[in-house]
Amino acid sequence: MLNAAENDLFALVHEPIDTAALAREIRADRDGASVTFDGFVRNESHGRRTLYLEYEAYEPMALAKMREIGQSIHEKFPIHRLTIVHRLGHLEIGETSVFIAVSAPHRRAAFDACRYAIDTLKRIVPIWKKEFFNDGAVWAEGELPPAPPSASKSAS
Amino acid sequence: MPQALSNLHLKVLFFGRLRELTGFSEESLEIPAGTTLADIFDRYAARFPKLASFRSSLVASRNQEFASWDTPVLDDDTISFLPPVSGG
Repeated sequence: MLNAAENDLFALVHEPIDTAALAREIRADRDGASVTFDGFVRNESHGRRTLYLEYEAYEPMALAKMREIGQSIHEKFPIHRLTIVHRLGHLEIGETSVFIAVSAPHRRAAFDACRYAIDTLKRIVPIWKKEFFNDGAVWAEGELPPAPPSASKSAS
Repeated sequence: MPQALSNLHLKVLFFGRLRELTGFSEESLEIPAGTTLADIFDRYAARFPKLASFRSSLVASRNQEFASWDTPVLDDDTISFLPPVSGG
């Protein structure tokens, strides 16, 4: 582990995400690479033209899960810093909904950590997306987070 | 029936399609000790019959952690029934 996770940045925001500032912020002289993931709103969904999206979150739990992802990334990959920022509320086509940036001494860890971060976020972070169309709106089909084993088997 | 001296007080949260279905995002609940997350879901499913069909596509949470349905709740817990997540 190159660095403790306390330098990482996790946030849920209701305003546009300044992706360039975040990408600069995580860099340090000892790093040799950064990898960023910019997830933004697509103009269609399953062949239907999307007008806009609305995101909502179980905010304290979502932040806790984002921090957990950061913790496991530092255990798995030799990276320097990580940021994960997710936007909530009303988003227009093309606007960034999630931004992830990872810095590391070497590229491989940065690529692997960034991929792990977005894949895990989409599986376990309690955020929901509603898609609005000309003729209605639907909650996006998501992924069901894995449930822990039965309570009777675990100490409490 | 063995009964704790006082009932438990919980906060129950609803998000996404479940929030729309119940019509509220938060409710306080008073229930007897020994109640599990599944028991509480069943109470809501009785009140909002459409909820029952969602049961297999929800994961329960207790105090911001995913929890199995047979988890007993304790006083002051905050619980929720979470639809499949779709962030990103």
